[in-house]
Amino acid sequence: MKPKVAIFEFGCCEGCQLQIPNLEEKLLELLEHIELVSWREGSSAHSEGPYDITFVEGSITREEEKDRLRQIREKSRILIALGACAHIGGVNAIKNSMDQEEVRRYVYGDKAEWFPSIPAMPLSAVVPVDYVVPGCPIDKEEFLEITKALLMGKTPVLPNYPVCVECKRAENICVYEKGLVCLGPITRAGCNARCPTFGNRCIGCRGLIDNPSINAHKEVMARYGLCAEDIINKYRMFWGYAEVIK
Amino acid sequence: MPIMILGKEKVPQFVEGLLRDYQVIGPRKKDGFYLFGPVSKPEEIALEYPIALYPPRKFFLPAKEPVLRFRLGEKPEVEPVVEPPTPKVLFGLHPCDLHSTRLLDAAFLKENPDANYETRRRNAIFVGIDCLAPCDEYAFCKDMGTLDPKGYYDLFLTDLGEAYAVEIGSGRGEELLRKYSAAREATKAEQSKLEEVRKDRDKNFPSRLKFDASKLPEILWSRFNSPYWGELAKRCMGCGSCTLVCSTCYCHDVLDRVELNLTEGERIRVWDSCLLDEFAKVAGGLNFRPSLEQRLRHRFYRKGKYLWDLLGLPGCVGCGRCTRHCLAKINPIEVFNDVYQEYSQA
Repeated sequence: MKPKVAIFEFGCCEGCQLQIPNLEEKLLELLEHIELVSWREGSSAHSEGPYDITFVEGSITREEEKDRLRQIREKSRILIALGACAHIGGVNAIKNSMDQEEVRRYVYGDKAEWFPSIPAMPLSAVVPVDYVVPGCPIDKEEFLEITKALLMGKTPVLPNYPVCVECKRAENICVYEKGLVCLGPITRAGCNARCPTFGNRCIGCRGLIDNPSINAHKEVMARYGLCAEDIINKYRMFWGYAEVIK
Repeated sequence: MPIMILGKEKVPQFVEGLLRDYQVIGPRKKDGFYLFGPVSKPEEIALEYPIALYPPRKFFLPAKEPVLRFRLGEKPEVEPVVEPPTPKVLFGLHPCDLHSTRLLDAAFLKENPDANYETRRRNAIFVGIDCLAPCDEYAFCKDMGTLDPKGYYDLFLTDLGEAYAVEIGSGRGEELLRKYSAAREATKAEQSKLEEVRKDRDKNFPSRLKFDASKLPEILWSRFNSPYWGELAKRCMGCGSCTLVCSTCYCHDVLDRVELNLTEGERIRVWDSCLLDEFAKVAGGLNFRPSLEQRLRHRFYRKGKYLWDLLGLPGCVGCGRCTRHCLAKINPIEVFNDVYQEYSQA
Protein backbone atom coordinates (compact mmCIF):
# COMPACT_ATOMS: atom_id res chain seq x y z
CA MET A 1 0.00 0.00 0.00
CA LYS A 2 1.19 3.47 -0.84
CA PRO A 3 1.82 5.66 2.21
CA LYS A 4 -0.82 8.35 2.75
CA VAL A 5 0.71 11.82 2.60
CA ALA A 6 -0.87 15.08 3.75
CA ILE A 7 0.34 18.68 3.51
CA PHE A 8 -0.91 21.45 5.84
CA GLU A 9 0.04 25.02 6.58
CA PHE A 10 0.04 27.66 9.30
CA GLY A 11 1.47 31.20 9.21
CA CYS A 12 3.42 31.34 5.93
CA CYS A 13 3.35 32.34 2.26
CA GLU A 14 2.81 28.74 1.05
CA GLY A 15 5.80 29.21 -1.22
CA CYS A 16 7.45 26.05 0.09
CA GLN A 17 4.47 23.92 -0.92
CA LEU A 18 4.58 25.61 -4.29
CA GLN A 19 7.94 23.97 -4.87
CA ILE A 20 6.13 20.60 -4.94
CA PRO A 21 4.08 21.27 -8.12
CA ASN A 22 7.27 22.87 -9.45
CA LEU A 23 8.70 19.33 -9.50
CA GLU A 24 6.56 18.90 -12.64
CA GLU A 25 7.07 15.42 -14.18
CA LYS A 26 9.00 14.28 -11.12
CA LEU A 27 5.85 14.87 -9.07
CA LEU A 28 4.03 12.39 -11.34
CA GLU A 29 6.80 9.87 -10.76
CA LEU A 30 6.61 10.49 -7.00
CA LEU A 31 2.85 9.87 -7.08
CA GLU A 32 3.57 6.31 -8.16
CA HIS A 33 4.98 5.78 -4.66
CA ILE A 34 2.69 7.89 -2.45
CA GLU A 35 -0.99 8.76 -2.13
CA LEU A 36 -1.55 12.48 -1.58
CA VAL A 37 -4.73 12.47 0.53
CA SER A 38 -4.85 16.07 1.76
CA TRP A 39 -3.26 19.10 0.15
CA ARG A 40 -5.35 22.28 0.00
CA GLU A 41 -2.96 24.12 -2.32
CA GLY A 42 -2.62 21.34 -4.86
CA SER A 43 -5.63 19.03 -4.71
CA SER A 44 -9.37 19.04 -4.01
CA ALA A 45 -9.06 15.74 -2.12
CA HIS A 46 -9.27 15.87 1.65
CA SER A 47 -8.93 13.14 4.23
CA GLU A 48 -9.39 13.42 7.99
CA GLY A 49 -6.52 10.98 8.46
CA PRO A 50 -4.70 9.10 9.78
CA TYR A 51 -1.66 10.03 7.69
CA ASP A 52 1.62 8.18 7.27
CA ILE A 53 3.67 11.24 6.38
CA THR A 54 2.54 14.80 7.03
CA PHE A 55 4.36 17.89 5.83
CA VAL A 56 3.50 21.06 7.71
CA GLU A 57 4.49 24.50 6.45
CA GLY A 58 4.39 27.74 8.45
CA SER A 59 5.01 28.94 11.96
CA ILE A 60 2.57 29.11 14.87
CA THR A 61 1.46 32.72 15.34
CA ARG A 62 -1.98 32.37 16.96
CA GLU A 63 -2.98 30.56 20.15
CA GLU A 64 -5.69 28.40 18.52
CA GLU A 65 -3.21 27.08 15.95
CA LYS A 66 -1.50 25.10 18.68
CA ASP A 67 -4.56 22.83 19.09
CA ARG A 68 -4.90 22.33 15.37
CA LEU A 69 -1.24 21.37 15.13
CA ARG A 70 -1.59 18.95 18.06
CA GLN A 71 -4.52 17.27 16.26
CA ILE A 72 -2.49 16.95 13.07
CA ARG A 73 0.37 15.46 15.09
CA GLU A 74 -1.93 12.88 16.66
CA LYS A 75 -3.12 11.73 13.25
CA SER A 76 0.38 11.58 11.72
CA ARG A 77 2.86 8.73 11.98
CA ILE A 78 5.69 10.99 10.73
CA LEU A 79 5.51 14.77 10.93
CA ILE A 80 7.90 16.89 8.89
CA ALA A 81 8.44 20.65 9.17
CA LEU A 82 8.41 22.10 5.66
CA GLY A 83 10.47 25.24 5.21
CA ALA A 84 12.03 27.89 7.42
CA CYS A 85 8.80 29.12 9.11
CA ALA A 86 7.90 25.62 10.32
CA HIS A 87 11.50 24.68 11.04
CA ILE A 88 12.83 27.73 12.92
CA GLY A 89 10.05 30.33 12.99
CA GLY A 90 11.51 32.05 9.94
CA VAL A 91 10.85 35.64 8.94
CA ASN A 92 7.61 35.60 10.98
CA ALA A 93 9.74 35.66 14.11
CA ILE A 94 11.32 39.03 13.23
CA LYS A 95 8.30 40.50 15.07
CA ASN A 96 9.18 38.63 18.27
CA SER A 97 11.73 41.28 19.22
CA MET A 98 9.30 44.17 18.60
CA ASP A 99 6.45 45.55 20.64
CA GLN A 100 3.60 43.12 19.94
CA GLU A 101 0.82 45.74 20.13
CA GLU A 102 2.68 48.07 17.83
CA VAL A 103 3.29 45.28 15.31
CA ARG A 104 -0.41 44.37 15.22
CA ARG A 105 -1.44 47.98 14.78
CA TYR A 106 1.12 48.37 11.97
CA VAL A 107 -0.26 45.33 10.13
CA TYR A 108 -3.99 45.46 10.88
CA GLY A 109 -4.51 49.19 11.58
CA ASP A 110 -7.69 50.02 13.49
CA LYS A 111 -8.84 46.36 13.26
CA ALA A 112 -5.85 45.15 15.28
CA GLU A 113 -8.03 43.88 18.15
CA TRP A 114 -9.77 41.46 15.77
CA PHE A 115 -6.50 39.65 15.11
CA PRO A 116 -4.94 38.39 18.31
CA SER A 117 -1.48 36.97 17.59
CA ILE A 118 1.38 35.58 19.63
CA PRO A 119 5.16 35.66 19.07
CA ALA A 120 5.93 33.33 16.16
CA MET A 121 7.31 29.90 16.97
CA PRO A 122 8.46 26.84 15.03
CA LEU A 123 6.36 23.66 15.08
CA SER A 124 8.84 22.01 17.42
CA ALA A 125 7.89 24.50 20.15
CA VAL A 126 4.44 22.86 20.25
CA VAL A 127 4.75 19.23 19.11
CA PRO A 128 7.56 16.75 18.43
CA VAL A 129 8.82 17.09 14.85
CA ASP A 130 10.43 14.03 13.24
CA TYR A 131 12.28 15.58 10.30
CA VAL A 132 12.84 18.90 8.61
CA VAL A 133 12.99 20.19 5.05
CA PRO A 134 14.80 23.49 5.66
CA GLY A 135 15.00 26.65 3.57
CA CYS A 136 13.12 29.71 2.37
CA PRO A 137 11.77 28.36 0.18
CA ILE A 138 12.60 24.66 0.42
CA ASP A 139 14.81 23.08 -2.22
CA LYS A 140 12.50 20.79 -4.17
CA GLU A 141 15.26 18.26 -4.79
CA GLU A 142 15.93 18.05 -1.06
CA PHE A 143 12.19 17.50 -0.49
CA LEU A 144 12.49 14.55 -2.88
CA GLU A 145 15.64 13.21 -1.16
CA ILE A 146 13.93 13.25 2.23
CA THR A 147 10.75 11.65 0.86
CA LYS A 148 12.75 8.95 -0.95
CA ALA A 149 14.66 8.14 2.22
CA LEU A 150 11.38 7.64 4.11
CA LEU A 151 9.94 5.51 1.30
CA MET A 152 13.01 3.27 1.50
CA GLY A 153 12.83 3.01 5.27
CA LYS A 154 16.00 5.06 5.75
CA THR A 155 16.50 7.96 8.14
CA PRO A 156 16.59 11.24 6.22
CA VAL A 157 19.88 12.99 6.91
CA LEU A 158 20.51 16.71 6.51
CA PRO A 159 24.01 18.08 6.13
CA ASN A 160 25.31 19.09 9.55
CA TYR A 161 28.00 21.36 8.18
CA PRO A 162 27.96 25.00 7.13
CA VAL A 163 27.40 26.64 3.76
CA CYS A 164 31.17 27.41 3.57
CA VAL A 165 31.73 23.75 2.72
CA GLU A 166 29.55 24.00 -0.37
CA CYS A 167 31.14 27.33 -1.37
CA LYS A 168 34.57 25.72 -1.23
CA ARG A 169 33.40 22.66 -3.18
CA ALA A 170 32.15 25.08 -5.86
CA GLU A 171 35.41 27.11 -5.74
CA ASN A 172 33.49 30.29 -5.00
CA ILE A 173 35.32 33.49 -4.15
CA CYS A 174 34.25 34.18 -0.56
CA VAL A 175 31.63 36.96 -0.42
CA TYR A 176 33.52 38.47 2.55
CA GLU A 177 36.20 39.30 -0.06
CA LYS A 178 33.54 41.35 -1.85
CA GLY A 179 32.67 43.30 1.28
CA LEU A 180 29.55 41.33 2.18
CA VAL A 181 28.92 39.89 5.64
CA CYS A 182 27.69 36.34 5.32
CA LEU A 183 26.01 33.89 7.72
CA GLY A 184 27.34 30.92 5.73
CA PRO A 185 29.95 29.86 8.34
CA ILE A 186 27.25 28.82 10.83
CA THR A 187 24.25 28.14 8.56
CA ARG A 188 23.30 24.58 7.66
CA ALA A 189 24.35 23.61 4.12
CA GLY A 190 22.26 21.64 1.63
CA CYS A 191 21.36 24.48 -0.73
CA ASN A 192 24.59 24.09 -2.75
CA ALA A 193 25.53 27.54 -1.42
CA ARG A 194 23.02 29.00 -3.84
CA CYS A 195 23.11 32.63 -2.68
CA PRO A 196 26.92 33.03 -2.41
CA THR A 197 27.34 31.20 -5.74
CA PHE A 198 25.28 33.93 -7.36
CA GLY A 199 27.17 36.70 -5.55
CA ASN A 200 24.89 37.26 -2.56
CA ARG A 201 25.55 36.73 1.11
CA CYS A 202 23.92 33.84 2.98
CA ILE A 203 21.09 35.12 5.17
CA GLY A 204 20.66 31.93 7.16
CA CYS A 205 17.31 30.62 5.87
CA ARG A 206 18.25 26.99 6.51
CA GLY A 207 18.89 27.60 10.20
CA LEU A 208 21.98 26.97 12.27
CA ILE A 209 24.19 23.89 12.20
CA ASP A 210 23.93 21.76 15.33
CA ASN A 211 26.87 23.20 17.26
CA PRO A 212 27.53 26.63 15.77
CA SER A 213 30.57 28.60 16.98
CA ILE A 214 28.53 31.74 17.50
CA ASN A 215 31.18 33.71 19.35
CA ALA A 216 33.85 33.02 16.75
CA HIS A 217 31.39 34.06 14.03
CA LYS A 218 30.50 37.27 15.86
CA GLU A 219 34.21 38.07 16.14
CA VAL A 220 34.62 37.58 12.42
CA MET A 221 31.68 39.86 11.65
CA ALA A 222 33.11 42.47 14.04
CA ARG A 223 36.46 42.19 12.23
CA TYR A 224 34.54 43.02 9.06
CA GLY A 225 33.13 46.16 10.63
CA LEU A 226 29.81 45.16 12.19
CA CYS A 227 28.79 46.41 15.63
CA ALA A 228 26.89 44.18 18.10
CA GLU A 229 23.50 45.54 17.04
CA ASP A 230 24.20 45.02 13.33
CA ILE A 231 25.18 41.43 14.08
CA ILE A 232 21.95 40.70 15.97
CA ASN A 233 19.96 42.29 13.17
CA LYS A 234 21.59 39.96 10.63
CA TYR A 235 20.76 36.97 12.85
CA ARG A 236 17.19 38.20 13.40
CA MET A 237 16.12 37.82 9.77
CA PHE A 238 15.55 34.07 10.12
CA TRP A 239 16.69 33.24 13.64
CA GLY A 240 14.30 35.46 15.60
CA TYR A 241 13.16 32.49 17.64
CA ALA A 242 16.64 31.07 18.26
CA GLU A 243 18.70 31.50 21.40
CA VAL A 244 21.52 33.22 19.50
CA ILE A 245 19.73 36.55 19.36
CA LYS A 246 18.71 36.56 23.01
CA MET B 1 69.36 16.74 -19.52
CA PRO B 2 70.41 20.07 -21.04
CA ILE B 3 68.66 23.21 -19.87
CA MET B 4 66.52 24.64 -22.64
CA ILE B 5 65.46 28.20 -23.44
CA LEU B 6 61.98 29.25 -24.58
CA GLY B 7 61.52 32.90 -25.56
CA LYS B 8 58.49 34.45 -23.85
CA GLU B 9 57.08 35.36 -27.27
CA LYS B 10 57.11 31.66 -28.14
CA VAL B 11 55.00 30.51 -25.19
CA PRO B 12 51.63 31.16 -26.94
CA GLN B 13 52.73 29.00 -29.87
CA PHE B 14 53.74 26.24 -27.42
CA VAL B 15 50.32 26.35 -25.70
CA GLU B 16 48.58 26.52 -29.07
CA GLY B 17 50.32 23.26 -29.98
CA LEU B 18 49.40 21.60 -26.70
CA LEU B 19 45.76 22.59 -27.16
CA ARG B 20 45.59 20.50 -30.31
CA ASP B 21 46.23 17.27 -28.40
CA TYR B 22 45.57 18.00 -24.74
CA GLN B 23 43.17 19.65 -22.37
CA VAL B 24 45.29 22.53 -21.06
CA ILE B 25 44.69 23.71 -17.49
CA GLY B 26 46.21 26.95 -16.29
CA PRO B 27 45.82 29.86 -13.87
CA ARG B 28 43.10 32.24 -15.08
CA LYS B 29 42.19 35.64 -13.66
CA LYS B 30 38.70 36.14 -12.24
CA ASP B 31 37.47 39.09 -10.16
CA GLY B 32 41.02 39.96 -9.12
CA PHE B 33 41.88 36.36 -8.10
CA TYR B 34 43.44 33.44 -9.94
CA LEU B 35 41.74 30.08 -10.39
CA PHE B 36 42.93 26.95 -12.20
CA GLY B 37 40.70 25.96 -15.07
CA PRO B 38 40.74 24.67 -18.65
CA VAL B 39 41.79 27.25 -21.22
CA SER B 40 40.84 27.47 -24.86
CA LYS B 41 43.35 30.16 -25.93
CA PRO B 42 46.98 30.72 -24.82
CA GLU B 43 46.25 34.30 -23.66
CA GLU B 44 43.82 33.00 -21.01
CA ILE B 45 46.79 31.67 -19.05
CA ALA B 46 48.04 34.25 -16.55
CA LEU B 47 51.47 32.67 -16.15
CA GLU B 48 52.90 35.37 -13.90
CA TYR B 49 50.37 34.96 -11.11
CA PRO B 50 50.95 35.10 -7.33
CA ILE B 51 48.91 32.04 -6.26
CA ALA B 52 45.71 30.33 -7.37
CA LEU B 53 42.93 30.69 -4.79
CA TYR B 54 42.24 26.93 -4.91
CA PRO B 55 44.78 24.13 -5.41
CA PRO B 56 44.94 21.83 -8.48
CA ARG B 57 43.71 18.88 -6.37
CA LYS B 58 40.25 18.91 -8.00
CA PHE B 59 41.70 17.72 -11.32
CA PHE B 60 42.57 14.45 -9.59
CA LEU B 61 39.97 14.38 -6.83
CA PRO B 62 36.85 16.27 -7.90
CA ALA B 63 34.66 17.83 -5.19
CA LYS B 64 32.01 15.26 -6.03
CA GLU B 65 32.32 12.16 -8.19
CA PRO B 66 30.39 8.94 -8.71
CA VAL B 67 32.38 5.80 -7.85
CA LEU B 68 29.80 3.15 -8.66
CA ARG B 69 26.30 2.68 -9.98
CA PHE B 70 23.89 0.13 -8.53
CA ARG B 71 20.53 -1.47 -9.20
CA LEU B 72 18.61 -2.93 -6.29
CA GLY B 73 16.44 -6.04 -6.54
CA GLU B 74 16.60 -9.79 -6.03
CA LYS B 75 19.93 -9.84 -7.84
CA PRO B 76 21.52 -6.49 -7.04
CA GLU B 77 23.91 -5.20 -9.69
CA VAL B 78 26.94 -3.05 -9.01
CA GLU B 79 29.16 -1.43 -11.61
CA PRO B 80 32.18 0.77 -10.89
CA VAL B 81 32.22 4.13 -12.60
CA VAL B 82 35.62 4.64 -14.20
CA GLU B 83 36.15 7.86 -16.04
CA PRO B 84 37.63 7.65 -19.57
CA PRO B 85 41.11 9.19 -19.59
CA THR B 86 41.50 12.79 -20.74
CA PRO B 87 45.14 13.73 -21.43
CA LYS B 88 45.81 16.99 -19.64
CA VAL B 89 48.66 19.45 -19.36
CA LEU B 90 48.65 21.43 -16.13
CA PHE B 91 50.49 24.53 -17.26
CA GLY B 92 52.03 26.90 -14.74
CA LEU B 93 51.94 25.04 -11.41
CA HIS B 94 54.04 26.55 -8.66
CA PRO B 95 56.47 24.33 -6.72
CA CYS B 96 54.12 24.07 -3.70
CA ASP B 97 51.38 22.67 -5.93
CA LEU B 98 53.80 20.23 -7.58
CA HIS B 99 54.76 18.98 -4.12
CA SER B 100 51.12 18.62 -3.04
CA THR B 101 50.48 16.16 -5.86
CA ARG B 102 53.43 14.16 -4.62
CA LEU B 103 51.64 13.69 -1.31
CA LEU B 104 48.33 12.80 -3.00
CA ASP B 105 50.22 10.21 -5.07
CA ALA B 106 51.63 8.69 -1.91
CA ALA B 107 48.12 8.41 -0.49
CA PHE B 108 46.27 7.19 -3.58
CA LEU B 109 48.78 5.22 -5.65
CA LYS B 110 50.94 3.29 -3.20
CA GLU B 111 48.92 0.41 -1.79
CA ASN B 112 45.55 -0.42 -3.28
CA PRO B 113 45.61 2.33 -5.96
CA ASP B 114 42.41 4.28 -6.57
CA ALA B 115 41.30 3.64 -10.17
CA ASN B 116 39.93 7.09 -10.93
CA TYR B 117 42.79 8.93 -9.27
CA GLU B 118 45.28 6.76 -11.10
CA THR B 119 43.67 7.32 -14.51
CA ARG B 120 43.64 11.09 -14.03
CA ARG B 121 47.15 11.19 -12.66
CA ARG B 122 48.70 9.01 -15.38
CA ASN B 123 47.16 11.26 -18.00
CA ALA B 124 48.38 14.52 -16.49
CA ILE B 125 51.57 16.31 -17.49
CA PHE B 126 52.98 19.00 -15.19
CA VAL B 127 54.58 22.14 -16.54
CA GLY B 128 55.75 23.97 -13.43
CA ILE B 129 56.92 27.53 -13.04
CA ASP B 130 59.35 28.87 -10.47
CA CYS B 131 58.35 31.41 -7.80
CA LEU B 132 60.99 34.10 -7.59
CA ALA B 133 59.40 35.98 -4.66
CA PRO B 134 56.84 34.98 -2.00
CA CYS B 135 53.24 35.25 -3.23
CA ASP B 136 52.16 36.90 0.05
CA GLU B 137 52.71 36.95 3.82
CA TYR B 138 50.89 33.61 4.34
CA ALA B 139 53.18 31.38 2.29
CA PHE B 140 55.94 29.44 4.05
CA CYS B 141 56.99 27.06 1.32
CA LYS B 142 60.68 27.66 1.92
CA ASP B 143 60.31 26.48 5.53
CA MET B 144 58.44 23.37 4.42
CA GLY B 145 61.09 22.52 1.81
CA THR B 146 58.75 22.96 -1.15
CA LEU B 147 60.20 26.09 -2.73
CA ASP B 148 62.52 23.91 -4.76
CA PRO B 149 60.48 21.55 -6.96
CA LYS B 150 63.07 18.79 -6.47
CA GLY B 151 62.49 17.35 -9.92
CA TYR B 152 58.82 16.71 -9.37
CA TYR B 153 57.65 17.96 -12.76
CA ASP B 154 57.71 17.07 -16.43
CA LEU B 155 58.88 20.55 -17.41
CA PHE B 156 59.82 23.45 -15.21
CA LEU B 157 60.07 27.09 -16.28
CA THR B 158 62.10 29.83 -14.65
CA ASP B 159 61.72 33.46 -15.66
CA LEU B 160 65.03 34.84 -16.95
CA GLY B 161 63.54 38.13 -18.13
CA GLU B 162 63.22 37.84 -21.93
CA ALA B 163 62.86 34.08 -21.90
CA TYR B 164 62.13 31.10 -19.71
CA ALA B 165 64.74 28.53 -18.78
CA VAL B 166 63.11 25.14 -19.20
CA GLU B 167 64.29 22.18 -17.13
CA ILE B 168 63.22 18.74 -18.24
CA GLY B 169 62.05 16.30 -15.57
CA SER B 170 60.80 13.36 -17.61
CA GLY B 171 60.76 11.73 -21.02
CA ARG B 172 57.17 12.92 -21.45
CA GLY B 173 58.30 16.46 -20.74
CA GLU B 174 61.15 16.19 -23.22
CA GLU B 175 58.82 14.91 -25.92
CA LEU B 176 56.31 17.67 -25.23
CA LEU B 177 58.98 20.33 -25.59
CA ARG B 178 60.40 18.82 -28.76
CA LYS B 179 57.04 18.29 -30.43
CA TYR B 180 55.24 21.53 -29.60
CA SER B 181 57.79 24.22 -28.81
CA ALA B 182 60.62 26.12 -30.44
CA ALA B 183 62.89 25.74 -27.41
CA ARG B 184 66.63 25.65 -27.92
CA GLU B 185 69.56 24.66 -25.73
CA ALA B 186 70.76 27.25 -23.22
CA THR B 187 74.11 28.96 -23.73
CA LYS B 188 76.72 28.97 -20.97
CA ALA B 189 75.74 32.56 -20.14
CA GLU B 190 72.08 31.59 -19.82
CA GLN B 191 72.95 28.70 -17.56
CA SER B 192 74.85 30.97 -15.20
CA LYS B 193 71.94 33.44 -15.35
CA LEU B 194 69.63 30.67 -14.16
CA GLU B 195 71.96 29.89 -11.27
CA GLU B 196 71.99 33.56 -10.29
CA VAL B 197 68.21 33.85 -10.45
CA ARG B 198 67.96 30.78 -8.19
CA LYS B 199 70.33 32.31 -5.64
CA ASP B 200 68.34 35.55 -5.62
CA ARG B 201 65.13 33.58 -5.28
CA ASP B 202 66.35 31.84 -2.14
CA LYS B 203 67.31 35.20 -0.66
CA ASN B 204 63.89 36.67 -1.46
CA PHE B 205 62.08 34.14 0.71
CA PRO B 206 62.34 34.84 4.44
CA SER B 207 62.22 31.99 6.94
CA ARG B 208 58.89 32.19 8.70
CA LEU B 209 59.19 29.25 11.06
CA LYS B 210 61.47 29.76 14.06
CA PHE B 211 62.73 26.17 13.88
CA ASP B 212 63.59 23.49 11.35
CA ALA B 213 60.37 21.99 9.96
CA SER B 214 61.72 18.45 10.29
CA LYS B 215 61.27 18.88 14.05
CA LEU B 216 57.52 19.55 13.67
CA PRO B 217 56.35 16.01 14.48
CA GLU B 218 58.36 15.97 17.69
CA ILE B 219 57.34 19.50 18.69
CA LEU B 220 53.64 18.88 18.09
CA TRP B 221 53.66 15.52 19.84
CA SER B 222 55.11 17.07 22.97
CA ARG B 223 52.27 19.60 23.24
CA PHE B 224 49.28 17.30 22.62
CA ASN B 225 47.69 18.14 25.97
CA SER B 226 48.50 21.84 25.89
CA PRO B 227 45.65 24.25 26.76
CA TYR B 228 46.78 26.11 23.63
CA TRP B 229 44.42 24.08 21.43
CA GLY B 230 41.39 25.01 23.49
CA GLU B 231 42.26 28.68 23.32
CA LEU B 232 42.78 28.47 19.56
CA ALA B 233 39.45 26.68 19.12
CA LYS B 234 37.63 29.69 20.62
CA ARG B 235 38.58 31.68 17.52
CA CYS B 236 37.72 28.87 15.09
CA MET B 237 34.26 28.65 13.49
CA GLY B 238 34.78 25.00 12.56
CA CYS B 239 33.62 25.80 9.02
CA GLY B 240 36.12 23.44 7.38
CA SER B 241 37.32 25.97 4.79
CA CYS B 242 41.01 25.51 5.72
CA THR B 243 40.92 21.83 4.83
CA LEU B 244 38.69 22.20 1.79
CA VAL B 245 41.13 24.65 0.19
CA CYS B 246 44.16 22.64 1.32
CA SER B 247 46.22 21.25 -1.54
CA THR B 248 47.05 18.05 0.35
CA CYS B 249 43.77 17.26 2.17
CA TYR B 250 42.00 14.34 0.59
CA CYS B 251 39.39 13.15 3.09
CA HIS B 252 35.99 12.48 1.63
CA ASP B 253 32.58 11.18 2.57
CA VAL B 254 30.82 8.38 0.68
CA LEU B 255 27.08 8.70 0.08
CA ASP B 256 24.46 6.65 -1.74
CA ARG B 257 21.97 8.51 -3.94
CA VAL B 258 18.93 6.66 -5.22
CA GLU B 259 16.76 7.73 -8.12
CA LEU B 260 13.02 8.31 -7.96
CA ASN B 261 12.33 4.79 -9.21
CA LEU B 262 13.83 3.67 -5.86
CA THR B 263 15.82 0.88 -7.55
CA GLU B 264 18.71 2.55 -9.39
CA GLY B 265 21.27 4.84 -7.95
CA GLU B 266 24.88 5.79 -7.52
CA ARG B 267 27.49 5.92 -4.81
CA ILE B 268 29.32 9.23 -4.76
CA ARG B 269 32.28 10.59 -2.87
CA VAL B 270 32.38 14.22 -1.84
CA TRP B 271 35.03 16.31 -0.11
CA ASP B 272 34.74 16.14 3.64
CA SER B 273 36.64 17.91 6.41
CA CYS B 274 37.98 16.74 9.77
CA LEU B 275 36.93 20.11 11.22
CA LEU B 276 33.25 19.30 10.79
CA ASP B 277 31.07 18.19 13.65
CA GLU B 278 30.19 14.75 12.31
CA PHE B 279 33.46 13.83 10.62
CA ALA B 280 34.39 11.34 13.35
CA LYS B 281 30.86 10.09 13.97
CA VAL B 282 30.66 6.34 13.44
CA ALA B 283 27.90 3.72 13.27
CA GLY B 284 25.99 3.62 16.52
CA GLY B 285 26.31 7.38 16.91
CA LEU B 286 29.64 7.60 18.75
CA ASN B 287 31.71 10.65 17.84
CA PHE B 288 35.33 10.10 18.78
CA ARG B 289 36.31 13.77 18.25
CA PRO B 290 33.23 15.57 19.57
CA SER B 291 34.86 18.91 20.47
CA LEU B 292 36.13 21.54 18.08
CA GLU B 293 39.30 21.72 20.16
CA GLN B 294 40.03 18.05 19.35
CA ARG B 295 39.19 18.50 15.69
CA LEU B 296 41.28 21.64 15.24
CA ARG B 297 44.25 19.98 16.96
CA HIS B 298 43.76 16.92 14.77
CA ARG B 299 43.96 19.06 11.65
CA PHE B 300 47.32 20.54 12.67
CA TYR B 301 48.63 17.11 13.66
CA ARG B 302 47.62 15.67 10.30
CA LYS B 303 49.61 18.44 8.59
CA GLY B 304 52.61 18.41 10.91
CA LYS B 305 52.87 14.87 12.26
CA TYR B 306 50.50 12.08 11.27
CA LEU B 307 50.96 12.24 7.47
CA TRP B 308 54.69 12.60 7.97
CA ASP B 309 54.68 9.42 10.05
CA LEU B 310 52.41 7.62 7.59
CA LEU B 311 53.73 8.67 4.18
CA GLY B 312 57.16 10.07 4.92
CA LEU B 313 56.24 13.50 3.58
CA PRO B 314 55.11 16.65 5.38
CA GLY B 315 51.32 16.98 5.20
CA CYS B 316 51.69 20.70 4.57
CA VAL B 317 53.40 22.30 1.60
CA GLY B 318 53.29 25.81 3.06
CA CYS B 319 51.10 27.29 0.32
CA GLY B 320 49.19 29.37 2.89
CA ARG B 321 45.78 28.88 1.26
CA CYS B 322 44.22 27.87 4.58
CA THR B 323 45.11 31.22 6.14
CA ARG B 324 44.00 33.16 3.09
CA HIS B 325 40.55 31.56 3.27
CA CYS B 326 40.20 31.53 7.07
CA LEU B 327 37.95 34.39 8.16
CA ALA B 328 39.37 34.13 11.69
CA LYS B 329 42.90 34.20 10.20
CA ILE B 330 44.13 31.12 12.04
CA ASN B 331 47.61 30.81 10.55
CA PRO B 332 49.78 27.66 10.67
CA ILE B 333 52.94 29.79 10.75
CA GLU B 334 51.76 31.37 14.01
CA VAL B 335 50.36 28.12 15.38
CA PHE B 336 53.56 26.16 14.72
CA ASN B 337 55.69 28.98 16.14
CA ASP B 338 53.46 29.29 19.23
CA VAL B 339 53.69 25.55 19.85
CA TYR B 340 57.46 25.68 19.32
CA GLN B 341 57.63 28.46 21.93
CA GLU B 342 55.87 26.20 24.46
CA TYR B 343 58.07 23.27 23.48
CA SER B 344 61.30 25.19 23.90
CA GLN B 345 60.22 26.57 27.29
CA ALA B 346 58.99 23.24 28.65
